[in-house]
Amino acid sequence: MAAVAQPGATTVVQQSAGGNPWAGPPEGENVFGMITQNVSRLTEAKPPRAWYVAFAIALALLTMFGLSLAYLFYTGIGVWGNMVPVAWCFDIVNFVFWVGIGHAGTLISAILYLLRQDWRTAINRAAEAMTIFAVVCAAIFPGIHIGRPWLPYWMFPIPNQMGMWPQFRSPLEWDVFAVGTYATVSLLFWYMGMIPDFATFRDRSTTKIRRIAYGIVAMGWRGSSRQWHRYERAYLLLAALATPLVLSVHSVVSFDFATSQLPGWHTTIFPPYFVAGAIFGGFAMVVTLLVPARQFFGLKYIITLRHIELMTKVILGTGMLVGYAYGMEFFIAWYSGSLYEGFTFINRLFGPYAWAYWTMIFCNVVAPQIFWSRKMRRNVWVAFAVGVIVNVGMWFERFVIIGTSLARDFLPSSWGYYVPTPTDYTTLGGSFGLFFTLFLLFCRYLPTVAMAEVKAIMPEAHVQHGHGGAH
Amino acid sequence: MSQVKREERAAAPAAATSGGDDARGRWQELEALTERPGFQEFVGRELGVPLESLPPGSPERRRFLQLAGASLALAGVSGCRWEDDKLLPAAKRAPGMIPGETRAFATTMDLAGVGVGLRVTSADNRPIKVEGNPGHPSSLGAAGLFHQASILEMYDPDRSQGACRFGSGARVAETPAAADQALTEAFTAAKARGGAGVRVLSGYSSSVTVADLRRRFVAALPQAKWVEYEPIQDDAERAGAQLAFGKQHRTHYDFAKADVLVTLDADPMTAHPNSLAYARAIAARRDPDKGMSRVYVLESSFSGMSPIADHRLGLRAEHMKAVAAWLDAELSAKVGAGALGPAQPKPAAAFLGEGRVAKFLDAMAKDLAAAKGRSAIVAGAHLPAEVHAIVHRLNALLGNVGSAVTYTEIEERPDSVRSLEGLVAELNAGQVEWLLILGGNPVFDAPVDLAFPAALAKAKLSVHASLYEDETSRKCTLHVPLAHWLEAWGDTRAWDGTIAIAQPLIAPLYAARSVPELLAFLLGDADKDEAALVLLTGDKKLDGHAIVRRALAATLGDLRRWKRAVHDGFVPGTAYPRANPTLVQSRPLAFSGGELSGLGAANGALEVVLAADPKLYDGRFANNGWLVELPDPVTKACWDNVALVSPATAKALGVDDHALARVAVGGREVTIPVLVSPGQADGSVRLTLGWGRTDAGVIGGSREGLTPTFGTTVFDRIRGIQAPGVPSVGTDTFALRTKALLTFGGGGQVTPTGERRRVVGVQDFYSIDDLGKKGQEERAGQLLREAPLSEYQADPKFAAKRVHHPPLLSMWQPPVSYDGYKWGMTIDLNKCIGCSACMVACHAENNVPVVGREAVGRNREMHWIRIDRHYRGTAENPEIAYQPVACHHCENAPCEQVCPVGATVHSSEGLNDMVYNRCIGTRYCSNNCPYKVRRYNYFNFHLDLKEARNETLKMAFNPDVTVRFRGVMEKCSFCVQRIQKAKIKAKNARRTLRDGEVRSACQDTCPTDAIRFGDLNDAASRVKEAYGHARAYALLGELNNVPRLHYLARVRNPNPELV
Repeated sequence: MAAVAQPGATTVVQQSAGGNPWAGPPEGENVFGMITQNVSRLTEAKPPRAWYVAFAIALALLTMFGLSLAYLFYTGIGVWGNMVPVAWCFDIVNFVFWVGIGHAGTLISAILYLLRQDWRTAINRAAEAMTIFAVVCAAIFPGIHIGRPWLPYWMFPIPNQMGMWPQFRSPLEWDVFAVGTYATVSLLFWYMGMIPDFATFRDRSTTKIRRIAYGIVAMGWRGSSRQWHRYERAYLLLAALATPLVLSVHSVVSFDFATSQLPGWHTTIFPPYFVAGAIFGGFAMVVTLLVPARQFFGLKYIITLRHIELMTKVILGTGMLVGYAYGMEFFIAWYSGSLYEGFTFINRLFGPYAWAYWTMIFCNVVAPQIFWSRKMRRNVWVAFAVGVIVNVGMWFERFVIIGTSLARDFLPSSWGYYVPTPTDYTTLGGSFGLFFTLFLLFCRYLPTVAMAEVKAIMPEAHVQHGHGGAH
Repeated sequence: MSQVKREERAAAPAAATSGGDDARGRWQELEALTERPGFQEFVGRELGVPLESLPPGSPERRRFLQLAGASLALAGVSGCRWEDDKLLPAAKRAPGMIPGETRAFATTMDLAGVGVGLRVTSADNRPIKVEGNPGHPSSLGAAGLFHQASILEMYDPDRSQGACRFGSGARVAETPAAADQALTEAFTAAKARGGAGVRVLSGYSSSVTVADLRRRFVAALPQAKWVEYEPIQDDAERAGAQLAFGKQHRTHYDFAKADVLVTLDADPMTAHPNSLAYARAIAARRDPDKGMSRVYVLESSFSGMSPIADHRLGLRAEHMKAVAAWLDAELSAKVGAGALGPAQPKPAAAFLGEGRVAKFLDAMAKDLAAAKGRSAIVAGAHLPAEVHAIVHRLNALLGNVGSAVTYTEIEERPDSVRSLEGLVAELNAGQVEWLLILGGNPVFDAPVDLAFPAALAKAKLSVHASLYEDETSRKCTLHVPLAHWLEAWGDTRAWDGTIAIAQPLIAPLYAARSVPELLAFLLGDADKDEAALVLLTGDKKLDGHAIVRRALAATLGDLRRWKRAVHDGFVPGTAYPRANPTLVQSRPLAFSGGELSGLGAANGALEVVLAADPKLYDGRFANNGWLVELPDPVTKACWDNVALVSPATAKALGVDDHALARVAVGGREVTIPVLVSPGQADGSVRLTLGWGRTDAGVIGGSREGLTPTFGTTVFDRIRGIQAPGVPSVGTDTFALRTKALLTFGGGGQVTPTGERRRVVGVQDFYSIDDLGKKGQEERAGQLLREAPLSEYQADPKFAAKRVHHPPLLSMWQPPVSYDGYKWGMTIDLNKCIGCSACMVACHAENNVPVVGREAVGRNREMHWIRIDRHYRGTAENPEIAYQPVACHHCENAPCEQVCPVGATVHSSEGLNDMVYNRCIGTRYCSNNCPYKVRRYNYFNFHLDLKEARNETLKMAFNPDVTVRFRGVMEKCSFCVQRIQKAKIKAKNARRTLRDGEVRSACQDTCPTDAIRFGDLNDAASRVKEAYGHARAYALLGELNNVPRLHYLARVRNPNPELV
């Protein structure tokens, strides 16, 4: 693990006139230096115009998000389309959607790390960042969807003079802890992984601000073998800690529905089904983000076609798991003999919300089948397109589960048809603004690729190679 | 003040020497303060100009003093409304009054000439709730929609608050004194003419007082004429009696004695002046354990009778005549007409030849003949006089007269429309100098072909005294406000004639007189016999109280009797005298038009029925939020009226739900959205009256630039302010109503416009997707359980067996043992007629907000109790059944388990309590509630209370119930405030509660006594008896929620021949 900071790699970044300062061919005098160079220049060089355009769009969406929430707080939940019986819809759909997205990061970082899947190193940093940002987006929704949004802290067990205490039988209370723990561990994991890379940035700093800022976050990393030893241990432990969380957080989120009495929610298959769906959606989001990123940021040489292909395989596999779950739901609904369960599922297929159901089936079950073809798996734009489609599909999956089950429950007298309002859409769109704003800032200021880890899996990093290659 | 303090602290050392202040800078004399440095500067800042810069006597200075003086003087003006003799400082507590404790007073309300005795709850001298007077024969403890919603009407800020003129079209406010003077002058002038050219137009009134003053009025102005017009009346019924007996008699039914009940397009249970009492009586005979009656309902549309019917035949209203004639022929032959003379010949009606109609009528006739002397036939008030005459004959034929059917002597009353027609002719002839309109709204509701508004303009002086500045007020020269019945003394006579006394619950909110007070004012002192007054009331003032006492002096001259009558609310023994009229030989009927047609009707020959609206009546309640938002019992639509057609007719006409169609009849047409109701007779289009008001108020619609009360979002409010007025709610169907087409008539045509207008409602309408309909049908039998009487007798516990489920096990230990009280409720589905009185009762009792059309369209209505309507049966034989659903207070409440903050918790008495303060509004409880009875404040639905003009609405609230803020969940509490109140009372008396001491608001007002509530630990309680009844079942009990609301399954008593 020698190659961390490369003080020698001082090749000046060439600002090709009119071109993308971030892209261009890999630079650097050796393979390690090349990696450092390529990743670091993203934060050192002035970003291309595309970044500014993208950032402006994201910021505009974020502003829309802020305005939507201000309107919501000022007026009430009624600015959304929620009603009785569909008391939850876009709010909780968005929450589950974003929590789901937030799964791939930790899965890639932790589980694949434990399984020694070295290919993960190229994408894990971006995936983890995506996780954090998705969890940020997700965590907003439970807070704002409550009728009195100035009181979400009542869900936390804070000792108080009124003797009020949360009600721990409620799955919403479980959510607070599940998502809270997940966010904390993911953040720690992400941050810890970045420390060696922050040190690299610090050491390459040409300005004082950069040196101080990256110096603080690098926490005095010197790359000594003792530090590396401790680092590796801690990383392994955090990976082990994060692994069950990957499974637990979405299982707990699924309890919101599974423990209720509502036909269409009251299903034991939900925990594994939700986890599979989350991984499915999370990988799709990683692909959606990384295909353009590697294209525009000149990371093609680090995030290779092999990575894309492996991810599409995961999408194909988890997509089929999800498809199986869809089918199994129908079987159980029929097998239960319950009038209401049976109706709920038939209603999904052919009822007023059939369009949502069939959109979901197309996006989640049909579309990924294209990845049976190797050629398609290695076509980054196909991968990108399917990634987007799967994300749409996963959003619709939550809409189908939450919206359509609620819309027609036990007593036909209370049946209703949920129609979203413009504010519903601006809130959904605005949450993407938050996500992309954070992600673009990440691309601009933080190590997008885990340089240290990538270098560690390079052939050059291995002693045999070094000797063999040199002579 | 802080400003001064800071200054003085700086000046402290200097002040210490001046002697006025102590060392800490406190000043003791005013001079000491004003002399301080900085004080002048401070005053300058306060006044905008330095005081010293103003020369003494400068205009600004004088202006300032003027304004200061004027504002001081005007501060007292706000109190000017009150008459000084009414302003009593509560220095001493009035006897019997405990602050915060509600009190109940008996009073009575008159609607179109029939009174119902009521009991009004008053909280700190504000009436807040209207309930029935249990002793009054027309109430029996129940109160109808209109009575209950009157509370909101009284506090309605849109009520007329002062006199005004509409001479040149624009509204000019008039001071009370000027209005009084104008009235006095008019009266004096009229008196000089001997009353020539004076006409009074009023609605029907049963009041003895009004009758007395009418007599005095006509005596003072001998040539004056008093005309009565009421848009919804019983003229045909009276004419029918005239035809049958040669004299107007009133028919009374004792349904307890009717084993077989036949109704011909009649709805004695919800649309009859005596419906509260009749509903109780009919429902009482629907107990399958105690000799259940059999009910045959022939009607053109679903009504309050439909859910009670054992057999129902959908026939157009125009067919009823032939049915009556056929029954006469058939029954005369069966039981022998005897002295009654020859029967009607059997009419050759095409529809009578239809197999199912013939079968139905045959079986019914057989049943009637078999139950001779134990049956009753009722005809709808809107049916032609001949039908009523035949029904009188039929009841006589069957020996029902004297048992289930009785007659009384009543005062004859001329035909309403003909009276108005006479008035219009006089107006048009220029014979009317002064037209005084007392109440009513003839400009809106008179038959259109009379052209009343145009005629009205020809009166030299027209005065409209009414509760609102309505359509009629705008066409009159002078409008004066009327007091609400809750604000005035008065009296009414019940359907059976029993006199009831109305006492004011509150001083008039606005300077207004009641009708008797207005008339007494006009008559002036000349009419007053002071000596007699002093003798009677101890005072020579002729106020509302004295007027009523004077009018009732003959009956209630004695003070003790009077006090007793005021306390009880009614005077026993004052019913109309019984009559034993003899039948006049009837002539054979002549049939015309569609009366003999087949079951279907072609477009162009459709029957159009114009009925009083179940919620708005004739439109007078159009500005009442509780009623406008109350779902129609059948369609469940609110905030709109619709044209109802049968599914087959809709298909033939090419219309469906929400289709906007032109309904044309008699050369007039209205454009109105359509809803499909399976209970409609084919070829019959039902329209209800009273909608489409243009001068009702912020709810019903107004031409004024009022802001809609329901602007709940920022955008709505902006929109609302920009709007020139409030759009009318619904469509004005009076536009079709003519002398010839008062209630129904043929020749109607329905043309779809191709446009659609979404009708909002609280439940899906008839036409939903096939899958949904199938799903509804599949579960209908499990949700609303029903069996024929034979099955019930063979297996009384049939209801519990309708759903099969595995043994019910719970994860949780029962958290509470329910040792003390254990509250429970039962609803007898056999008795529920969907009248919705319970919903209005709940609105009033629990401060349930009105949310507006848009919110209802988004399924955000707030009713704590709703009445689920189930369409059942086949297309040929549709049925309707109702199931009221309130919170079930489940012992294993699914809502409680999922609330993250413990805002909905279980009480030790088994109540599922909402802690509004604790609720943060996650709405999870609503999602997990299988009954979906939880209601959520999606907005601050009380935002309208922030508007200054809505100040009075706050007074309508029940102070014992929290007004909920936005973002919290709410739901039925089993009227926990009533439970607590009764418990405190019992605890103070060191005893436990007795059965019947706690009554929920819905139970209190239920006309059919379908709802029982009480302590399940009390083995002798009525609710316990029902809870353990064989018919009792728990809705969705298979979910193991262990609900505390149980239903008693429906049992029908079909005729074996028709099964």
